[in-house]
Amino acid sequence: MTQDFYRPGTSLIHRWNPVTTLSLSLTLVVTAFASQALWLPAALLVFVVFPAALVSGVFRRLLAWLARFLLPVILLLFVIQGLYHQDGPLLDLGPVGVHLDGVLFATRTALRLLVLTGAFLLLLFTTHPGELMTALVAHGMPPKISYLVSATMQIVPAFRQRAHSILDAQRARGLRTAAGPIGRVRALVPLVGPLVLGALSEVDERAVAMEARAFGATTRRTSYTVIADSAAQRVSRWSMLVITIAVIVLSATGVIR
Amino acid sequence: MIRLESLSYRYAETPTTVLRQISLTIPKGQLVGVVGPSGAGKTTLAQVMSGFIPHVFGGEVTGAVTVAGRSVRNTPLPLLVSDIGLVSQNPFNQLSGAKFSVAEELAFGLENLGVPRGEMVSRVDETLRRLRIAHLAERSPYQLSGGQQQLVAIGSMMVMRPGVLVLDEPTSQLDPAGSGLVFDALGELRERGVTVVLIEHKLEQLAEVADRILALVDGELRMDGPPSTVLAADELADWGIGRTRFTAAAVAAATHWPCGRPLPVTLAEAAAGFAEGAP
Ligand SMILES: Nc1ncnc2c1ncn2[C@@H]1O[C@H](COP(=O)(O)OP(=O)(O)OP(=O)(O)O)[C@@H](O)[C@H]1O
Ligand SMILES: [Mg+2]
Repeated sequence: MTQDFYRPGTSLIHRWNPVTTLSLSLTLVVTAFASQALWLPAALLVFVVFPAALVSGVFRRLLAWLARFLLPVILLLFVIQGLYHQDGPLLDLGPVGVHLDGVLFATRTALRLLVLTGAFLLLLFTTHPGELMTALVAHGMPPKISYLVSATMQIVPAFRQRAHSILDAQRARGLRTAAGPIGRVRALVPLVGPLVLGALSEVDERAVAMEARAFGATTRRTSYTVIADSAAQRVSRWSMLVITIAVIVLSATGVIR
Repeated sequence: MIRLESLSYRYAETPTTVLRQISLTIPKGQLVGVVGPSGAGKTTLAQVMSGFIPHVFGGEVTGAVTVAGRSVRNTPLPLLVSDIGLVSQNPFNQLSGAKFSVAEELAFGLENLGVPRGEMVSRVDETLRRLRIAHLAERSPYQLSGGQQQLVAIGSMMVMRPGVLVLDEPTSQLDPAGSGLVFDALGELRERGVTVVLIEHKLEQLAEVADRILALVDGELRMDGPPSTVLAADELADWGIGRTRFTAAAVAAATHWPCGRPLPVTLAEAAAGFAEGAP
């Protein structure tokens, strides 16, 4: 599923080392949440997230996904926070009032969510998950963690496929699957046995296959895929770290507000 | 080299003995075919020969197993498997899940062993070419057909260059061309001194390539000899193993088959016999 987000491209950001893109995303998220100021997440969105998306050619997709994920959430946020808040109303409209605190809170949360989701969509759209894992292992992440993430991403869809074929087989043998939510849940029941039993009996087989390919070896691993990196990118990653820490400190001390 | 001395095996928590009193020695560089009906214990034998029984699967082993000069029981698994490759029956379960392209999937074992990158790239390329899957190099291993996955599974073991290679029905989902490719590649490995154990139902191709055939029935080693004798034996059909089309043709054409000539198991033997028998 996560693989569907990524599409190959040749833009600057596509060519970045995945760790650089990940650093950018993390920097955006942490700084957007570090400060109470409204202007900060707004500026990040307008001056970083959107231009980066434009440069890498994913701007339209980004907007579409943001609208799909966040529009309902944000609307709800404004309705609830704007109308029902403890302090005095900003606008008195007879039985309902709009509260300033609520509106501020909703705006801040909406901006933060936009930066958060936008930053991660940008990462997912421009970065191949396998390359991200390879790059992270090259930067010292344990291969077992990389394995866990990659295997989950690939084996889960494969299992979903299998669930469909088991269902087909059982339908072919006369299992009736009704429509509607309850019918669909009931359709899952006969799947549980074959799927779970199948998965369990295959654990040994998988363990054997991994062992046969020396996954348990304690030798220093080498890497087939080499992911390009550059001095400029290393410098920019360190700079992002410094900026993040600075924003946290300046916000905590009240300089940024 | 593989040596089994009165080996018997029972899976944990089951009463039946699945392999019974098997003794055999396979010298280095021999290509041995294993035939037997479903449930005969072929997969179990493959796991014994590659050390996964008893190291991964529990159960009760009696007798002794020596592979590549090491006692299987007394050698830790990582050391054992460093020189033994096992291609198991289900190719899907052999995909690591760690890799997003076929080329990387082939490299996975080499990465774990710390093979230098230059050598790794050349070995992966050679394997891709040898199995004619170079066009799949960038594809996801999870979006391949069963036969293609089988080639990737075989390649992922061949690329590690083990001294002993055990393959459990490696061509079950392959078309004739793909199977031919695998049999040829295994023949080449034998020439390079690799010991190959090949569990296979395709008797005709086995007859062409194997030095020796083991017939396993009900966990017993019923026959052990050259393909021309084992595959021509009458009992094979009774055991549910079947026979080659060449043997079947000679039996069916009884009167045209030269009296006293052994039954054929390859096309060449059949052609020679029928040529002699023709009036
Ligand atoms: N994990 C297990 N636990 C208990 N019994 C098992 C296990 N695996 C296999 N068996 C039993 O051991 C016997 C031999 O099985 P094995 O898989 O070795 O046969 P096979 O010759 O490989 O058959 P096939 O041609 O169908 O692959 C069978 O009777 C089987 O039921
Ligand atoms: Mg089997």
